[in-house]
Amino acid sequence: MDRAVLVDHLVKDFEVTQKEVGLVGSVRSLFSPKKKAVRALKSVSFSIMQGELVGFIGPNGAGKTTTLKVLSGLLYPTSGLSQVLGYNPWDRKPDYLKKIALVMGQKNQLWWDLPAIETFELNRAIYEIPKRQYKETLDELVTLLDVGKLLKTQVRRLSLGQRMRLELIAALLHRPEVLFLDEPTIGLDILGQEKIRDFVYDYNRKFQATILLTSHNMEDLINLSRRVIVINEGRIIFDGALDELVNRFAKKKIITVYLNKEIDVKEMENIGKVRKVQFPQVVLSVPRTTAAVAAAEILQNFPVGDLTIEEESIEEIIGKVFKGESPTKSKK
Amino acid sequence: MSKNSFAAVLANRFGAGVFFVGKVLRFVFFLGFIFFLLKGTNTLAGYTLNQTMFFFLTFNLVDIIAQFLFREVYRFRSLVVSGSFDLVLVKPISALFRSLMGGADILDFFTIPPLLIAIYLMGRSLDPTGIQIFFYLALVINSLFLATAFHIAVISFGIITLEIDHTIMIYRDLVALGRFPVDIYQQPLQGILTYLIPVGIMVTLPAKALMGLVSTQGVLLSFALGIGALLVSFRFWNFALTKYTSASS
Amino acid sequence: MRKYLSVFRISFAREFAYRLNFVMWRVRNVMQIFFVFFLWSSVFSEPGRVVFGYDRDKILTYVFGILILKAVVLSARTVDIAGEISTGDITNFLLKPINYFKYWFTRDISSKALNLSFAAVEAGTLYIILRPPFFLQTDPFLIFAFLVSLVAAVIIFFCLLFLVNLVAFWMPENGWAAQFLFIGILTESLSGGLFPLDILPQVIQKVLYVMPFPYLLFFPLQVYLGKVPAEQVTVGLSISYFWVLALAASLNIVWNKGLRRYEAVGR
Repeated sequence: MDRAVLVDHLVKDFEVTQKEVGLVGSVRSLFSPKKKAVRALKSVSFSIMQGELVGFIGPNGAGKTTTLKVLSGLLYPTSGLSQVLGYNPWDRKPDYLKKIALVMGQKNQLWWDLPAIETFELNRAIYEIPKRQYKETLDELVTLLDVGKLLKTQVRRLSLGQRMRLELIAALLHRPEVLFLDEPTIGLDILGQEKIRDFVYDYNRKFQATILLTSHNMEDLINLSRRVIVINEGRIIFDGALDELVNRFAKKKIITVYLNKEIDVKEMENIGKVRKVQFPQVVLSVPRTTAAVAAAEILQNFPVGDLTIEEESIEEIIGKVFKGESPTKSKK
Repeated sequence: MSKNSFAAVLANRFGAGVFFVGKVLRFVFFLGFIFFLLKGTNTLAGYTLNQTMFFFLTFNLVDIIAQFLFREVYRFRSLVVSGSFDLVLVKPISALFRSLMGGADILDFFTIPPLLIAIYLMGRSLDPTGIQIFFYLALVINSLFLATAFHIAVISFGIITLEIDHTIMIYRDLVALGRFPVDIYQQPLQGILTYLIPVGIMVTLPAKALMGLVSTQGVLLSFALGIGALLVSFRFWNFALTKYTSASS
Repeated sequence: MRKYLSVFRISFAREFAYRLNFVMWRVRNVMQIFFVFFLWSSVFSEPGRVVFGYDRDKILTYVFGILILKAVVLSARTVDIAGEISTGDITNFLLKPINYFKYWFTRDISSKALNLSFAAVEAGTLYIILRPPFFLQTDPFLIFAFLVSLVAAVIIFFCLLFLVNLVAFWMPENGWAAQFLFIGILTESLSGGLFPLDILPQVIQKVLYVMPFPYLLFFPLQVYLGKVPAEQVTVGLSISYFWVLALAASLNIVWNKGLRRYEAVGR
């Protein structure tokens, strides 16, 4: 199998102007604006095989979106190699663009005041998709995403979840070989998130498309990708199997309990480590493997009004990855 | 409230500067146009070069002062559409006042004084009597009454229909027809512009007063119209408030 | 090719979706014409008056000509580019196999088509009401020269507008200001839309003819009206095509520079 994506020692710098506060500051920055160079990507390297579904995870500002933008040809790399399907993304050759798609959570490509089907037709023309293939793909996608009834409605009248699904269709009409998804589940409710995840999984299986998906939501990754790349502050700090990441670093789950009556919190410490107490809320962390049992115990023995079990936040996991092991592949 | 507007304007320093230069240029170009036009034609609808320029300067005076006072009106649409208007209605400051004013632009401080000087100089060259000067000033104030009434009507209309930006532009375009004395328009357009949509009274009449072309009766009638318009616009505003449907999503 | 036909269609549909906007725009156009028409009518109220080489017939033909020409040359959707750059919506286009220039040019043509149809109706109606004299050119050379100059005008305006909008790459919040200055003020005053440029003294005219603005409206109209002697026609056409090339080249350069700077952010 070929490499779909190859990135080697990729560096990206941004220039940021500092705006000063207040009236005097504003006048000062009129004459000598302060500029600062920010290095968003610090020599990033990885490669992805055709057909892989890779999760790219990290906290906000880590560089995930910047990486995707460089790979899709939007940003000019400061230095280093980036290659997708054998093309240099920055050249933005039409042949290259016909093979990829970038979908960003809240960036709309659908024309706001016209029905989605109009944008689809426009894309068909732009990507020069043969009529029959267009119809096939459209039907498949519409069925997969269950949006048949929404095609002729003005986009602005639709809910966020409905729009996201239509945006996905618009992005996939040309059957891209490589799909870059930036925070595809952001802003959606649990049901919406699941629908998107299921779709991405099905799409990868059905069309053997290479998918690189970024998120700062662990749920996305746990349910989708076998392989994760963790990025923090512009550097890759983990690249490997998801299982390994979970087993090594995401060992705990967070249980949040809302109590009906005051209790002696010390009694809870038998079940798990108490992280925070603010009546009626108590937050504990318990080992992943025994989380369900712990929850059952709490429900049995304490006056519980509500209880939730969640993954540790990505920031906490990253923190652990960073402290434990940093297999960075190059020096600064 | 205006202090924050000033800071925001400075933050968009370049844009504001360019905008300012643009407005000054436009003013100079039009003055140039009047100058060269009248060099060739000698008179326009019976008025001399100085008189024609004076009409234009008075137009600018009324237009700029109105814009200076009522800049907030340009933000009104987003106020209503976003639902922030609810907050305005709840606060103790009169909602009408807050919607009209409070958005003063620092650049107006640069444009108004030179304009006043120009008006003084040009007006002096027309050699007016004391009474004529008095009538002029009074009618300019009356023009501001009319402008206020217009703006109130515009935002009242905006509350009901959410259509403001276009209404304002149409209003500006109508007033801009007064860059030259409304005498140039044939009837019935001239009549419409004088009595129905009183651009003529707002912009042409004060200058005419300085030239001694308006009787005391005319001045009083204009005031009646100005104050009447204000009252009607207040009624309209209150009516519009009853129709207000809080549109936040 | 058919992708641009699709763009044309969708742009047309969209402008129609914003009906109120469009109607208001036409209303304002017509008001402006009234202003100019009555102004000149007033100047030429005495029959037989000749000023700046114009008589009543010629000047009123000029006014009507401007109404039509404005719809053809100055109607554009390219004004939206600055907004697209600052909100980051341009990202969607950069990701697609479509030429950004051709895309916007097609959208402009679509807008011009729509505006021209309306302008024709408005001119027709105003003609019936106001009954201005209208001069029909018959010299085939002049008609040809007129069309050639019109093509140049369209391209010049496209490049000018596009260039000004690209300022948004460097100053996302202030793109509108540059647009206001260059397109709104300079073009409005110096292209002949408000008054025929020959009322200005020779000295000023000479300076103006070196700039691209007169070639947008004034020059093509003068050629049509037959007020430009044959040798001047060639000179004028050369200058206007010089501007076509210069602006197109600058456009390319600025575009590439701007893309490098683009950070694909914005919300």
